[in-house]
Amino acid sequence: MIEASELHKRFVEVTAVECVSFSAPDAAITGLLGPNGAGKTTVLRMVSGLVAPSRGSVAIDGVDPRKDPARARAKLGILPDARGLYARLTARENVRYFGELCGLGGRALERRIDELFELLELGPLADRSVAGFSQGERMKVAIARAVVHDPENVILDEPTNGLDVLSIRSLRSFIRELKARGRAVLFSSHAMQEVAALCDGIVVMSAGRVVACGTTDELRERTGKASLEEAFIELTSTVRESELDGVSE
Amino acid sequence: MSRARLVLVVLKKELRDGMRDRRALFSLLVFPLVGPTLVSLMLATLVERATAEPPIRLPVAHAERAPALIRHLVNEGITVVDAPADPIAEVRSGRADAVLIVESNYAEALRLGRSADVELVLDDAREDARPAVRRVQRALQVYGQTVGALRLMARGVSPNLAQAVAVHEVDLSTPQSRGAVFLNFVPLFVLMAAFIGGMHLASDVTAGERERGSFEPLLLTPVSRRDLVVGKWFAATAFAATTVVVTLACTALALSRVPLHRFGMAASLSPRDLLLVLATVLPLTPLAAAVELLVASFARTVKEAQIYLSLLTFAPMLPALYLSLQPMKPGPAMAALPVVGQQAILAAIVRGEAPTPLAFFAAGGSAMVLACVAVLATAALFRSERIVYGR
Repeated sequence: MIEASELHKRFVEVTAVECVSFSAPDAAITGLLGPNGAGKTTVLRMVSGLVAPSRGSVAIDGVDPRKDPARARAKLGILPDARGLYARLTARENVRYFGELCGLGGRALERRIDELFELLELGPLADRSVAGFSQGERMKVAIARAVVHDPENVILDEPTNGLDVLSIRSLRSFIRELKARGRAVLFSSHAMQEVAALCDGIVVMSAGRVVACGTTDELRERTGKASLEEAFIELTSTVRESELDGVSE
Repeated sequence: MSRARLVLVVLKKELRDGMRDRRALFSLLVFPLVGPTLVSLMLATLVERATAEPPIRLPVAHAERAPALIRHLVNEGITVVDAPADPIAEVRSGRADAVLIVESNYAEALRLGRSADVELVLDDAREDARPAVRRVQRALQVYGQTVGALRLMARGVSPNLAQAVAVHEVDLSTPQSRGAVFLNFVPLFVLMAAFIGGMHLASDVTAGERERGSFEPLLLTPVSRRDLVVGKWFAATAFAATTVVVTLACTALALSRVPLHRFGMAASLSPRDLLLVLATVLPLTPLAAAVELLVASFARTVKEAQIYLSLLTFAPMLPALYLSLQPMKPGPAMAALPVVGQQAILAAIVRGEAPTPLAFFAAGGSAMVLACVAVLATAALFRSERIVYGR
């Protein structure tokens, strides 16, 4: 369970995030939807504890990542915006390193890596250097690395960016598998189809604020639009107009 | 899991990664090979030129007038040949360094106890001829003094009468201290090895992590920043220490092949000296690695980090340069300065003096303290949003 309440983030000149609250419950997939620059990545960084919120708080299964980072991170598996691998190591060595950093080791860790590689269809590539991997293969290794310690909560920042249809399909089934195992999954995207296809709950962000949240059906109902895409455009454009109103006043 | 085990996990990964990095291996292994090879080649040619006395060819006109003098010249290693018709043209054109002409009254004057005349034709403006000319002049002078002394003795007069002041030079330099001039290269190379060995690894595990985007995932693991930095620090230190050992071994091997003894110097470092040099420089490697990690953490790319770090390798040279311009005996305060203290110890070892244990302790201890400060500062940097996400 991931809870964010009234998160604010002010950088020197701009307010990137303003009063963002939401929760991502266990055994559910929560989508953080918003156009580029809406503040999704900043919110996820505050949730992970790497960036301190100017105001507001985060709780990962009740643990504040700013106060007890080690315990909070043990409960979190995060695929951040930056997802570089160690090019001189093999896929297995990349994932094993992070497993060991999470306190795992020995045969249990190797079994876990085998299981993840099978789920993500990486098996044949396991012992090859990641230098020659395709973008989709790199993404899968990065995801395996993020969840190697089998965390209760999983955060994925734009996991489908730049992937082909096949990779997206196997990624979706992997995310559903996480949900089936009772994990809380929070994942951000700017692509409506992604969110509509996967998510139980949607949090729509625009210009640093939450403009709506609910299920796909609830959002469609609220805006009176037939598709989520139109609802999304409707929701994000009202914010833009009210912002403009604020400026003219 | 204990913190020591986490540090070990980081250390093992960085070492494995570093061993597969061609550029990191390059700075680990190529510097120790290139440096000493270059120096030993330089020394070898220098020694060759200074010690090998080339045979001197001296044309002598009318050699038959002074057979004893000619015998003396030949004994001094000078090859006497017949003089050409025009001695002046011979010297001016550079075909001969000098030409000796024995005057017609030479034998007569010698017999009567007067000064016997010889003429040495030379061109003082010719730099390359000077060593040869000087040797001929010295040989002639020695011959004249010997004959003069014999004349005095024949008349019952001590030759010492003619020598009112006798200068006895007492040369305090031992063969070892003369060799020090050349051996001063060794500490500089070994010190530089401490800074160069871990350089690439240090920039790869900091700026490199940021550049390739693996830094943020790493910071999201439950490991504390300090344990991460310590693991990386140990790895960079291991690389630096290996470079120091290999450099020292290569230098020792190279020096053993240079014929320094032909230069009148017992200039090789004994195994005990080598161990002392190692004991002096090794405590400097953690400091070099820690400072490199700290500096490289400010860089966004490996290339940027390399620029900063290559400037940093000048650090060990600055005190050396200063000390060579401003020779002074290092006081206690300087002995406790990292790098400067080590250089003072190394200079003492090379001069054949025994450094005190206190000097080791002061220089090594201050280096360790400073290294720990740099490691903690790097860990603090890893907590800053500006460093983690800074563009």
